[in-house]
Amino acid sequence: MKKKIGVYICHCGGNISDYVDVEKVRQAVEGDEGVILSKTTMFACADSNQKEMVDDIKDRELDGVVVASCSPKLHLLTFRAVVERAGLNKYNYVHANIREQVSWAHSDNKMGATEKAIQIVKAAIAKVRNTESLEPVIVEATNAVAVIGAGIAGMRAAIELAEAGSQVYLIEREFFVGGRVAQWDDLCLTEETGKELITRLYDQVMSQKKITLFTGAEVIENSGSVGNFNLKVKITPRHFKLRCTEETLQQAIDVCPVEVPDEFNFNITTRKAIYHNYPSEYPQLPAIDMKNCTRCGECEKVCPNIDFSQKTEYLNLKVGSILLATGFDPYEPKKGEFGYGEIDNVVTFPQFKRIVHYCDDKLVYKGKEIKNIAYIYCVGSRQVDGENKYCSRYCCTAIIHTAITVKKKYKGIHNYHFNRGIRTYGKAEVWYDESSRLGDIYLQSFEYDPPVVEKSGTQTIVRIKDMLTIDKEIEVVADLVVLVTGMVPRQDNSIGNLLKVPRGRDNFFNEIHMKLRPVETVIDGITIAGASQGPKNIMESINSGLAAATKSFSLVNSGELALEPTVAKVNLEACEWCGKCDEACPYNAFEKVETGGKFIAKVNSAVCKGCGMCLPVCPTNALDLIGLTDEDVESMIDALIPNI
Amino acid sequence: MSIQKQMKTLEYDVLVVGAGIAGGESALNLADLGYKVLLLEKELSIGGKMILLSKVFPTLDCAACITTPKVSEIARHPNITIFTGAEPQKILKKGSHRFEAVVLQKPRYVHVADCTGCQLCEEACPVSVTDEYQYGLVGRKAAYIPFSIASPRAAAIDIDNCTLCGACERACPTKCIDFTQTPEEFLVKIKSVVIATGFELFDPLKIPRYGYGKYKNVITSMQMERELAPTRPFNTVLRPGDGKMPDNIAYVLCTGSRDKSVGNPICSQICCMYSIKQAQLLMGALPMADITIYYLHIRAFGKGFNEFYVQAQDMGVEFIKGKVGKITGKENGNLVVRYEDIKAGTVKEAEHDMVVLSVGVLPNQGISGVFENEELQLDPFHFVNQVDLMASPAKTSIEGVFVAGTASGPMDIPDSILSGGAASAETTSYLRKESL
Ligand SMILES: Cc1cc2nc3c(=O)[nH]c(=O)nc-3n(C[C@H](O)[C@H](O)[C@H](O)COP(=O)(O)OP(=O)(O)OC[C@H]3O[C@@H](n4cnc5c(N)ncnc54)[C@H](O)[C@@H]3O)c2cc1C
Ligand SMILES: Cc1cc2nc3c(=O)[nH]c(=O)nc-3n(C[C@H](O)[C@H](O)[C@H](O)COP(=O)(O)OP(=O)(O)OC[C@H]3O[C@@H](n4cnc5c(N)ncnc54)[C@H](O)[C@@H]3O)c2cc1C
Ligand code: SF4
Ligand code: SF4
Repeated sequence: MKKKIGVYICHCGGNISDYVDVEKVRQAVEGDEGVILSKTTMFACADSNQKEMVDDIKDRELDGVVVASCSPKLHLLTFRAVVERAGLNKYNYVHANIREQVSWAHSDNKMGATEKAIQIVKAAIAKVRNTESLEPVIVEATNAVAVIGAGIAGMRAAIELAEAGSQVYLIEREFFVGGRVAQWDDLCLTEETGKELITRLYDQVMSQKKITLFTGAEVIENSGSVGNFNLKVKITPRHFKLRCTEETLQQAIDVCPVEVPDEFNFNITTRKAIYHNYPSEYPQLPAIDMKNCTRCGECEKVCPNIDFSQKTEYLNLKVGSILLATGFDPYEPKKGEFGYGEIDNVVTFPQFKRIVHYCDDKLVYKGKEIKNIAYIYCVGSRQVDGENKYCSRYCCTAIIHTAITVKKKYKGIHNYHFNRGIRTYGKAEVWYDESSRLGDIYLQSFEYDPPVVEKSGTQTIVRIKDMLTIDKEIEVVADLVVLVTGMVPRQDNSIGNLLKVPRGRDNFFNEIHMKLRPVETVIDGITIAGASQGPKNIMESINSGLAAATKSFSLVNSGELALEPTVAKVNLEACEWCGKCDEACPYNAFEKVETGGKFIAKVNSAVCKGCGMCLPVCPTNALDLIGLTDEDVESMIDALIPNI
Repeated sequence: MSIQKQMKTLEYDVLVVGAGIAGGESALNLADLGYKVLLLEKELSIGGKMILLSKVFPTLDCAACITTPKVSEIARHPNITIFTGAEPQKILKKGSHRFEAVVLQKPRYVHVADCTGCQLCEEACPVSVTDEYQYGLVGRKAAYIPFSIASPRAAAIDIDNCTLCGACERACPTKCIDFTQTPEEFLVKIKSVVIATGFELFDPLKIPRYGYGKYKNVITSMQMERELAPTRPFNTVLRPGDGKMPDNIAYVLCTGSRDKSVGNPICSQICCMYSIKQAQLLMGALPMADITIYYLHIRAFGKGFNEFYVQAQDMGVEFIKGKVGKITGKENGNLVVRYEDIKAGTVKEAEHDMVVLSVGVLPNQGISGVFENEELQLDPFHFVNQVDLMASPAKTSIEGVFVAGTASGPMDIPDSILSGGAASAETTSYLRKESL
């Protein structure tokens, strides 16, 4: 039982004290059992107050401390660190939230708010009376990181981690690296093409001894936790032994009778079952797509390097941290959305990029030369009725840049931009400026009144009520309609589900704190980078890849990790393994083990987060939480509702 | 080039210039990995612009509440040494992984370690001047604590305005005021440098037709940020002209941005969003007030931004697509905004009782002149040039010098954190190369 408790009640610069009478709260608790010091403070978290707390703890030899302030999400760690600096075990600190739970929630009732604050602080004092000193759980951390996805974000992060000194496993699901950027030629904000950028990064990846690259590889199982994840990786064979010569490869491709839509070109072309995305891509070894291969064996006859005997391999990897850089999918318009799939000259922006790639001196699509291009913005983004409420960020800039490229590359191009307010933020504004100077026409509509694409005879017409010319109805006859499609999260979220990484409202991977911790997730040890966390251009993706690399590296670098000791504990006598706890646990922390002739539940304290989900489901009451025992909770309830 | 002998010599792994959120994040990451960091801040407190904001878009977290834990983590870190009131005078590259910097620390005239922040000196000081940390909305004394959540939270003497009357010295209970302090120069030897010198705000006096400086009820967005902050000067939102609570507030976006006539063609990337944020906060603080935002395009591009913009529309903020030409004052302090209403295709006028100019982000150019024997290149807009934008965005024209945050271009807080993370990552691998 604590005898020397200090209590601090924070004004939060008015955030609390505008609604809660903090002095009254102080007076109400100063006489509580064990409380020998009680103070109010303008900003409890400010350096000066922290200094004062350290002095108080030392001078008055406090053995328990309570700060009543904002949410523990913000400052629990701050104040634990304060008591630790004063030489007290940090688990003798208890946090009371009187801002989110009181002043902000009851700004209409000051009296009631003050009453509630008093009770919450009293409950915290009741808890601190019973706290015990605890030591962190120390686990070894493997100095290795799995980077999932070898797009630009993943490759750049892998290079960084290897240079810093970690072992890196770079795991790419496709047979080729580079992700989306390999599909774009000209890029905005740089002279370099997508292919050149990928080449540069790939060369660096291959020159790093500490990076092992797996292609055609997917993580299929995951166990363990921060410091020690065990991953099972499935590696699909390419069915090629060595790099074959251009000649035999070409022959093999020629004889392959299978023809399927080429996803690399967003299905505007076809490819064979033997394929490479483009000549000299990386790794420079073609692959056979076994989903479509009929095993006719024709290719084997002309190319000696084909090997159908290669088997799927499985590999177990142990890593300290996982960096997810799985990127995005381009939004796929619904059939009929702005004529997509119904009118033959309506394409998406990614398809347009590939069309431009294949056209040298004339822009031709489906045999027809293109002069008038209509770009319809925000397709799949900023939806009024659909799910995607967000703006895809990259597209205004990228499409304007592409439109300029097209205008300069081919003769007689007219660009019409059907937009919803151009978002060329930052330095990209200069492209918008340049495109206007080059004579591109901008027409704008509101969200609720989008442009219409229609077929009229042989012509494709785009019609808009243009708010820039006082809602005049304007029609453009377009040779090609480009739907400026946004970014959506990877439709196949199997990896997110496997690793239990939460997704945000927009369905992209969610960071732990939007403002201050944009690359960390609630799953300790798993960081997120690039467009998997939300739409980004290349520079932003690289920045986030590098930032995530730093965070992952700092976890595995020192070789060991200190984890919270506030985890579930099993009472060996009372437990009669029924598995209910295992079902309730969101983190897979339970294991069924045999001791003393019976099966019981065992908690992996490196995995358990102390969330308490298991406690109420245990039929024999065999579970307790270290640091928040039933006794603690009962004493807090007594303090909260003293009259019952 | 010779550097004076009598200077005190200090050695660190990394010099981080600028202790805003970007410099702070870089310093913390590097310090967590065991590198010794010297963090320089020219102001009296670390925290940059962020520590002075009200709440942040689009989460509406209280800026002070999320900055202070970061700031105290930086201040406490055993591997970080902070000099406030300090700037590099020159930085020389002496070779691979070898830099020498001359750092000048201005005297604070207060021994920070002894100051308890009791504010008795402030009470005693007879001199009143405008408070730059409240962006000129109110006054402060010549002996003062910069602001309540400053780190360090210690007094300083503004010697330019001090009359040397000695009242503060007499009032100070710990005798920490010391008028004998002099500027100090240090020779700092480091292996690498991170530039995180942040941005400057556009000065609206450069657009006289907006009436800033002439009409008191035309204020800047940073002033409004202060009016809305928990450490706000008035404890409510007021018109500076007469102390009246405004009920019809206008925002003029792109003030000093996207405007070649003031020499800044680019978009500042944050002002649309902070204006929408302030509009939402004002609707909470002044439930009866009308808020109008005059804009060209709304750049609500980031995570959660478009949703935040739609939320403001749903709350009743009026968005008018139009360019503001001129603002004129009326006798009662109200303002007439003359603008081109793009949607209606005509020029219109509207009366408001307060106008907020959403001022843009300008480069802080001074730092490039500090590098003496190698050139720190600037980009066409005078931000620090990112020489490998696509693969190594933190790299500058000098090997071993990296850039973080708004020093390289406009960006918001999360982007500054990412960029700070990237700069620390590249610094780490640069430092590793030395030890190999
Ligand atoms: C049409 C278009 C044009 C663009 N133009 C530009 C431009 O000009 N300039 C610019 O800066 N940006 C441009 N962008 C944006 C750019 O494409 C992105 O910023 C970039 O691709 C993001 O990189 P990433 O590594 O995060 O994701 P991705 O490029 O999507 O890469 C992710 C990688 O992860 C792999 N992967 C996915 N799931 C798994 C899994 N479960 N296991 C293993 N691997 C997996 C994928 O196969 C892929 O290789 C454009 C985007 C589009 C759509
Ligand atoms: C009115 C307004 C509202 C905003 N609201 C939001 C918001 O709600 N959400 C959001 O995400 N962003 C917001 N921002 C943007 C945010 O302020 C910036 O993204 C962020 O502050 C950038 O951090 P930084 O570290 O790059 O620069 P800064 O904050 O400018 O920090 C740079 C630091 O370097 C110091 N320094 C400069 N030169 C030197 C030198 N030579 N020697 C030593 N030190 C030096 C400066 O004193 C400063 O402390 C807002 C900005 C404004 C103007
Ligand atoms: S970036 Fe432009 S095109 Fe893309 S969703 Fe946003 S506003 Fe629409
Ligand atoms: S962010 Fe908005 S207000 Fe700021 S310059 Fe860009 S368009 Fe103008």
